[in-house]
Amino acid sequence: MSQVEKKAGLLRRTSSSKKPLKEKVVLMYDEIFAKEDPAKNNPRFWDELFLMKVNLEYLESKLESVDGEEVQRIQDNINSLFHHCVQALGEEHQIKVVNALQTLCALFRGVHQKNKSASGFDIINMLMGFDKAEQRMKDLMERLDGLLCGDSSESLKSLCLKLLLCLVTVTDNISQNTILEYVMINSIFEAILQILSDVSSRGQHGYDAVVLLALLVNYRKYESVNPYIVKLSIVDDEPTLDGMGMVVHQALTEYNRQYKDKEEENQGGFFSTLTSMVGSMFIADVDEKLSVQTNEAILLALYEAVHLNRNFITVLAQSHPEIDIPVTPTTPTPTTPTTPLGTTPPSLDMMNNPELPLDPNLQTSNLLITFLKYASIVMQDTKDEHRLNSARLCLIILTCIAEDQYADAFLHDDNMNFRVNLHRMPMRHRKKAVDKNIPSRPLVCAVLDLMVEFIVTHMMKDFPMDLYLRCVQIIHKLLCYQKKCRIRLHYTWRELWSGKALINLLKFLLSNETTLLAKHNIFHLALLVVNLFNMFITYGDTFLPTSNSYDELYYEIVRMHQVFDNLYCMVLRVSTNTGQWKEAASKVTHALVNVRAIINHFNPKIESYAAVNHISQLSEEQVLEVVRSNYDTLTLKLQDGLDQFERYSEQPKEAAFFKELVRSISLNVRKNVSLNTLSQDVLLKEFSTIS
Amino acid sequence: MMEEAEPDVSPIPSDQNSPSPSVSSSPSLSLPSTPSSCGPPQAATPPLCVISEGTSELSLVIDAEVAQRACQEVLQKVKLRQVEGDVTHLQNGAGLEAEPAADKPSKIREEDDHDAPAPGSVKSARRRQRHNPSKQSWLLRLFESKLFDVSMAISYLHNSKEPGVQAYIGNRLFSFPHEDVDFYLPQLLNMYIHMDEDVGDAIKPYVVHRCRQSISFSLQCAWLLGAYSSDMHISTQRHSRGTKLRKLILSDELKPAGPRARRDPLTLTPFCPAAAHGGGSGPLGGDHGLSPSKRTHQRSKSDATVSISLSSNLKRTASNPKVESSQDEDSSSSDSLEFDSGPPVRLAPQREFIKSLMGIGKRLATLPTKEQKTQRLISELSLLNHKLPARVWLPTAAFDHHVVRVPHTQAVVLNSKDKAPYLIYVEVLECENFETSSVPIRIPENRIRSTRSVENLPDCGMTAEQRAGSFSVVPNYDNDDEAWSVDDIGELQVELPEVHTNSCDNISQFSVDSITSLESKEPVFIAAGDIRRRLSEQLAQAPTTFKRDPEDPSAVALKEPWEEKVRRIREGSPYGHLPNWRLLSVIVKCGDDLRQELLAFQVLQQLKSIWEQERVPLWIKPYKILVLSADSGMIEPVVNAVSLHQVKKQSQLSLLDYFLQEHGAPTTEAFLSAQRNFVQSCAGYSLICYLLQVKDRHNGNILLDADGHIIHIDFGFILSSSPKNLGFETSAFKLTSEFVDVMGGPDGDMFNYYKMLMLQGLIAARKHMDRVLQIVEIMQQGSQLPCFHGSSTMRGLKERFHMSLTEEQLQLLIDQLVDGSMRSLTTKLYDGFQYLTNGIM
Repeated sequence: MSQVEKKAGLLRRTSSSKKPLKEKVVLMYDEIFAKEDPAKNNPRFWDELFLMKVNLEYLESKLESVDGEEVQRIQDNINSLFHHCVQALGEEHQIKVVNALQTLCALFRGVHQKNKSASGFDIINMLMGFDKAEQRMKDLMERLDGLLCGDSSESLKSLCLKLLLCLVTVTDNISQNTILEYVMINSIFEAILQILSDVSSRGQHGYDAVVLLALLVNYRKYESVNPYIVKLSIVDDEPTLDGMGMVVHQALTEYNRQYKDKEEENQGGFFSTLTSMVGSMFIADVDEKLSVQTNEAILLALYEAVHLNRNFITVLAQSHPEIDIPVTPTTPTPTTPTTPLGTTPPSLDMMNNPELPLDPNLQTSNLLITFLKYASIVMQDTKDEHRLNSARLCLIILTCIAEDQYADAFLHDDNMNFRVNLHRMPMRHRKKAVDKNIPSRPLVCAVLDLMVEFIVTHMMKDFPMDLYLRCVQIIHKLLCYQKKCRIRLHYTWRELWSGKALINLLKFLLSNETTLLAKHNIFHLALLVVNLFNMFITYGDTFLPTSNSYDELYYEIVRMHQVFDNLYCMVLRVSTNTGQWKEAASKVTHALVNVRAIINHFNPKIESYAAVNHISQLSEEQVLEVVRSNYDTLTLKLQDGLDQFERYSEQPKEAAFFKELVRSISLNVRKNVSLNTLSQDVLLKEFSTIS
Repeated sequence: MMEEAEPDVSPIPSDQNSPSPSVSSSPSLSLPSTPSSCGPPQAATPPLCVISEGTSELSLVIDAEVAQRACQEVLQKVKLRQVEGDVTHLQNGAGLEAEPAADKPSKIREEDDHDAPAPGSVKSARRRQRHNPSKQSWLLRLFESKLFDVSMAISYLHNSKEPGVQAYIGNRLFSFPHEDVDFYLPQLLNMYIHMDEDVGDAIKPYVVHRCRQSISFSLQCAWLLGAYSSDMHISTQRHSRGTKLRKLILSDELKPAGPRARRDPLTLTPFCPAAAHGGGSGPLGGDHGLSPSKRTHQRSKSDATVSISLSSNLKRTASNPKVESSQDEDSSSSDSLEFDSGPPVRLAPQREFIKSLMGIGKRLATLPTKEQKTQRLISELSLLNHKLPARVWLPTAAFDHHVVRVPHTQAVVLNSKDKAPYLIYVEVLECENFETSSVPIRIPENRIRSTRSVENLPDCGMTAEQRAGSFSVVPNYDNDDEAWSVDDIGELQVELPEVHTNSCDNISQFSVDSITSLESKEPVFIAAGDIRRRLSEQLAQAPTTFKRDPEDPSAVALKEPWEEKVRRIREGSPYGHLPNWRLLSVIVKCGDDLRQELLAFQVLQQLKSIWEQERVPLWIKPYKILVLSADSGMIEPVVNAVSLHQVKKQSQLSLLDYFLQEHGAPTTEAFLSAQRNFVQSCAGYSLICYLLQVKDRHNGNILLDADGHIIHIDFGFILSSSPKNLGFETSAFKLTSEFVDVMGGPDGDMFNYYKMLMLQGLIAARKHMDRVLQIVEIMQQGSQLPCFHGSSTMRGLKERFHMSLTEEQLQLLIDQLVDGSMRSLTTKLYDGFQYLTNGIM
């Protein structure tokens, strides 16, 4: 229906442009852009203006067309328009409020469009006038806060959020948007939280609210004290945090669902075999890109919540049976007045909808599972810039999670088992895993699977070094936790050791040494990988699930000894030369000491065993036997600091990444908001018929 | 009928009125709106506090003398002790002022000679016509004797057709300790529902009185009334007394009417007589003498407004301490006063809590697989956690507490074919009184983690010593000291966690690059063999646990020793550091009728106390049952116990071998004591099974605890009912050859001991047969329960006590029973049948 309406609107607009007769509102705009005070002749000018349907296009283009000198001339009128817009927000007449909101939108956008190069102060001056700016913005923010928190209509609230989004994204670089300084002073944080804490408002405005929050948090993040950061970091109200989690969960779920639909579509098609071979070629079509972009904002929100707020971690594991329902019904549940906490009837949510549609095939999910699935999709293909960013952000989020004790606790909780269907890249050499047979395991297994999957599938010329480093570090952090808490996870570690993963990665680094060295410090990655092995070798007794697994570790190392030998030769060579990698390479040589000790200890033993028994090719069992019986004569060197790691910190390392990311999100949100705002015309019509 | 009440009441006007001031004194101080809203009704203050609900049923005629005596007694006591307790405003026709008769029966003696003059002459004269002095007098003696206990009272209440006697006993109930009466609550309420009005009227004042005093008693009554009314025809049920009383209780009209006296009479002394009163009434003395029902209304209304305004205040504060707690603080100044300005609706939080637990059970039942059920359960409980702490508690617990958290990941779905019973663990904080103590403040889930990192280290299942040794270092021969100091660094996190507590995750911030720093130091060597050895040792060291099986999630959870579990959950809980932290567990059953379970519990409990009294070392474990309705309830789980089915399936051993594995060789003390426990419990339950005709005895219904006791659970088929009427299980009780093997074979001493215990147990039970029969008999009234099917239930039960047999004959009987059970093919058949149909081994 909205489509039709929109079309109708378009038609009307085009037809009106043909006619010489101008809309009344356009005439009024013209008056504003004239020198005179429009209210001079018509004292009810402003009243009337906000009764007119806004013509955003005209107003914006008018603002854009004003050139330097004219600005000076009409500044008073624009200030006046701004002032009256703010005042109109307090009107009882909803039409006026809607029109005022849209006019403000146009004002912000038009002025910025025109003055891309102008300083923030000029823009403020032009919109509000220096002397009154503070008061005007205070009024504006208070009114918006009032509208958002009050019981005004949902579409009004939605429009308020759109206006805020519009304001936040008018500049490419959010930190250059000086007007936001006032948004910092007059915080709407509480309003955002309130939207998120309420079930019905969350359903309708949650997405915008979360995106807005994510953007506001990134305003001059590194330069000044951003009150939104401070406030977000101390929120501990569970319903609110939960609400935020739900919004993220829903957005990611929706993405996963779309992806799956598309995938099924492709597979069902004629070229199913072909596509599975070519892999993700089709994934990057236009639609997909768009949805990835929109999700960057959500992902950023998730990151900020996880990174800034310790309490949010609990939300990750919070399962929400109700949102497994594919199409989220936005039936506004009647908001029951909350009684004081002590007497709140438990499980309001649960009791309110006892007739939850229960699909027995649905797995209970939680934000973390959904996120892992999402990450598995995004990480499949990192060629595209947006996907690369998303993948990076996913890994950063996982890094934060892996560092958090509480998150680790529930990741490893033996009582919380889940089947997580990660998406795996279709590859020539392997069949697609049958989804149904995935066992129910603690969540950390899914994280490890995801890491292994990434390591296996991204050894390519355009090597995503940064992502690999993060991957290996995440694994390392998880191992540190397991070692510390003596958690013996039943995980097939072999998958990680060899199984085309870690050892294969070393092999890849070796064989592409020259090409990779041109761009990356491969020694750092090699060091991390070798140290993972060192973790297992030195501390395996504290976290390996069976004694057999320790034998298998040795077996894998001995079996793949050539890779380690070659690596040692390479790093030794580099470290003896003088060059920029000298030191980095020498670290790897030191790290390899135990691996080499193992190889040098067992290889002769195995050879002599073969010789004595006249066997040319030893079976795995035989090798394991040799390993088992020769432990006692092997001495290892205790390496320092294996179980210690550098904690994640955003600044300064990641600052550039986030700046770029926020810029890209800003552009994207701006684009989408403008679309949406136009469709608010439809909404407006709704209003006019109702009221 | 109202007039009838007055003459008797009139002698004690001061006592009647005295509660009123103290009523008003109950602090609504924290509620600013209360005084004003209480203003107007004062004008219409009736002189007496009589609740209207009682008047409609005042139709009984009471033996004057008995009534009078009772009345005098009470009056006397009041005078003597100056104890002023809750006055039950709800008087029955005789206007018996039911003051708490406290607990000393000796007092009653003193009043024996009091020949009370009848004040209301006309009525008493009329009553006297029905008076039967000769019979009554020695009954009275019995009633007034020390020996007269609750059990007898209940029995006379049930058997006597004499309204006077019934009314007397109704009054006498007040003088028994609460716990004693509580045991018979199902009987009392069932009589109230299903017997004639006289009995009902005799019981009601007591029930109402207790309801006023206690929220938990109120709810208990409401639940039981609902459950035991359910067998009535729907049309009569709606208007039945039971339903009415239930509604009355749930309407929350039965609020405490006076200062809380019951718990600690001493503190009350200053408040007792009307005149002496003053201190407590404070600024609100104004509402002196308000009709309680009116007052209640006012109060609840104002509470509502307060709560609304509070909640709006709450909205925006990120973290808020309990609203209630502030109110509690206000009231704490006047300790002994009833505190009724707490939650606006007394019963609501608890009812909601129970309701949501039931809701979870219902939704779980719709899911097909255990795995889904488990996941769903965990997620639902985690949501439930958001509403905690609250003024809610587990009724199965033995102490007052507030529920603060449900460790949701620990919950398990139990094995059941089509229902979804589940077991949850509940963290509670013990408190003085759950009605008045303030609700604990919420602590966010992860708050604990940062502060806990120090303590959580030793919990890795190793002692400090082991840990120190976990790094057996092969020191470099040149420099010993140096080597050790390096080792310290390696162990830093484990040994000296304090150093790192500032970094919030206890993982220090050194980068991996610090390896290079080692170059300057002497290297430390470790033996690969040691690592490997430690690994296998530690794996072997771990206590025998069951393997996780998604189809049987409860096995692992139940196998874990309770102490272990408590310690583990405590460590993971943000409330764990509080000294009054306790862990409870409960099984939530939804869709199951637990009334038979409750009956069985009562019988077991009775037999247990009989055996204790007679000093027979039979061992049984009655587990608490909470009946919530005719098809839902809760069960107190038996801790440290797994079913024989799970034992066999997980261990793949015979029972004897399992005993050997768990407790050691046959000659060890551990084994012998486990064996003794096994025998004593077997004897106890064999008798129980025989007496109650407990059926459906497959291995899933028999638990084995960590000490070797067996514990029978699931009393769904007792007395006259048996499963599917397949005619299986004809033997008296379950005694498989495996059981006998554990006892040391059919010729062993322990087996003889077993039989001897049974004989002693039966003789003891026979001696007190009436105490057992009575429980069952009263519950039969108006019941459609399958265990009462047919007409011979009681006769059969009575016969199984074999009153007529000599002890020699009894011994023979026991031998026969044991023999028959051992040789019984049907037991084996039944186990096979269960294996085929339900997969129970």
